[in-house]
Amino acid sequence: MSSKTVADEVIKPVTEKRDLSFRGIITNEYVLYVISSFAFLAIWHSVAKAQILGKSLATPYEVVLEMGRMMTVELAGKNLLGHIWASTQRILIGFSLGAVFGIPLGLFMALNRYVNAIVKPVFDLFKPMPPIAWISISILWFGIGEASKVFIIFIGSFVPCLLNAYNGIRIIDEELYDVVRVLGGNRRDEIFQVSFPAALPALFAGIQISISIAWTCVLAAELVGSRSGLGWVIVRGMRLTKPELVIGGMLIIALVAGLFSLSVSGLERLVCPWKRKIAGL
Amino acid sequence: MAYEQVKVKHNLALIILPVMSLLIFFGGWQLVVETNIIPSTMLASPSSVVRLFIDKLTNPNPDGATIGVHAWMSAKEAVTAYVLALIVGVPLGLAMGWFTVIRGMFRPVFELIRPIPPIAWIPLCIFWFGIGIWGKVFIIWIAGIVPFTINSWAGVNMTNPTYIQMARTYGATDWQIFTQICIPSALPMVFGALQIALAYCWTNLVGAELLAADQGLGFLIEMGRRLALPEMVVLGMVTVGVGGALIGVVVDLLERRLLAWIKR
Repeated sequence: MSSKTVADEVIKPVTEKRDLSFRGIITNEYVLYVISSFAFLAIWHSVAKAQILGKSLATPYEVVLEMGRMMTVELAGKNLLGHIWASTQRILIGFSLGAVFGIPLGLFMALNRYVNAIVKPVFDLFKPMPPIAWISISILWFGIGEASKVFIIFIGSFVPCLLNAYNGIRIIDEELYDVVRVLGGNRRDEIFQVSFPAALPALFAGIQISISIAWTCVLAAELVGSRSGLGWVIVRGMRLTKPELVIGGMLIIALVAGLFSLSVSGLERLVCPWKRKIAGL
Repeated sequence: MAYEQVKVKHNLALIILPVMSLLIFFGGWQLVVETNIIPSTMLASPSSVVRLFIDKLTNPNPDGATIGVHAWMSAKEAVTAYVLALIVGVPLGLAMGWFTVIRGMFRPVFELIRPIPPIAWIPLCIFWFGIGIWGKVFIIWIAGIVPFTINSWAGVNMTNPTYIQMARTYGATDWQIFTQICIPSALPMVFGALQIALAYCWTNLVGAELLAADQGLGFLIEMGRRLALPEMVVLGMVTVGVGGALIGVVVDLLERRLLAWIKR
């Protein structure tokens, strides 16, 4: 624990030394992490070995082997890295489009009530519709090529980007504007000095949500119809009844999606360092 | 009576513009299809969607069930999984927030499962459960449990430490602090999760039904695509949207009721 300031007092953290005891070690959080990870792998392994779920579960070792094999052996003309890149590329394109249209539109809606009056009713019609529901119609429109996948990701990331940009500006403390006005700022100063910076944390929250939705969308699109990407790897595993391929694909998705969200929060810390951290979030 | 003379100026443009934009939206949509700018094999006009909706109320063809049956099926799956996720996720999150041992036990597995989109579980679910209702319930359950757990956990973490210290000073046990201080102070966060989890569940429900189902709104959409009936696709999408919004309203009402009860 670092030192916390309460009013004028500085509270210095006191670390009390405890004697090493078996109970102390066994209830240490990090020791428990290790134990439970091993326990999880062990249970997984024994369930798979005993074939409690039939042949539909692979042992962790088989999964790792299969992943290693995928790195070298090509499936549909691409090795594992190729498939990872295929999914990532779709997400990057679709998400960038969604952000490029969604964020400015959301900002405009929040800053100008006429734009809001025009766009909001139509947007509210589309808002409750899950992006995955668009898959079928986007296949009707664009076929099963890249365009239909990018379109779904676009829809999926557009909505949270717009909503968070909109709400980010609306929840700004009125007093911040008063300060600018007192200092003699005009409307332009209000927007550039207050609105945009103050909306940044909300924008980043929107981007974070967008990316996780984008992963869901890209997977769903690839599961429905595609020739590459991680979703296709999973479906391939299902068709060939190769659970090790399915589970391996899922783990890779977890890894890549986790990396994405980590890099967004890293960027957020860079761009808005003033944001206070809420413990545990 | 001075106050009666103060009239709130209604900005006429702000009332007319939303109505106009909706009219233009639906009118443009109808027009684009009628004049064949977009062929009717790709997009259905609003009027044909309404016509199909009235027809589907009673007619189970060509996809095997009326729209009521599809919607009921989806709602049943979503609500079952949502309640199961609530029952498991909230206690788990609360306990993970307070008890180090439980956090140590569950966190690694939870952190592993968290970034996997629930949709990715579909192939495994088909292996394990077939394409019946339980496979879908499992996927939606996975989708719902993550927000419930995270929010409850964060709620406990955000408890004002002063309260906990005070309780300690008065000699409260760990369990007493947990039940009487941490849980009540975490409740607003838990309620926040109700809406998030619902939206997330509903999204993934559609995904699960697109891929593995023989009934439900997602299946209706997918059949519309297979039969190249755009009006059926749009009808399915609209029903999904309306259904999601309706359940959202119900949860919102419940939330307000419960929060009012807690404040009392």
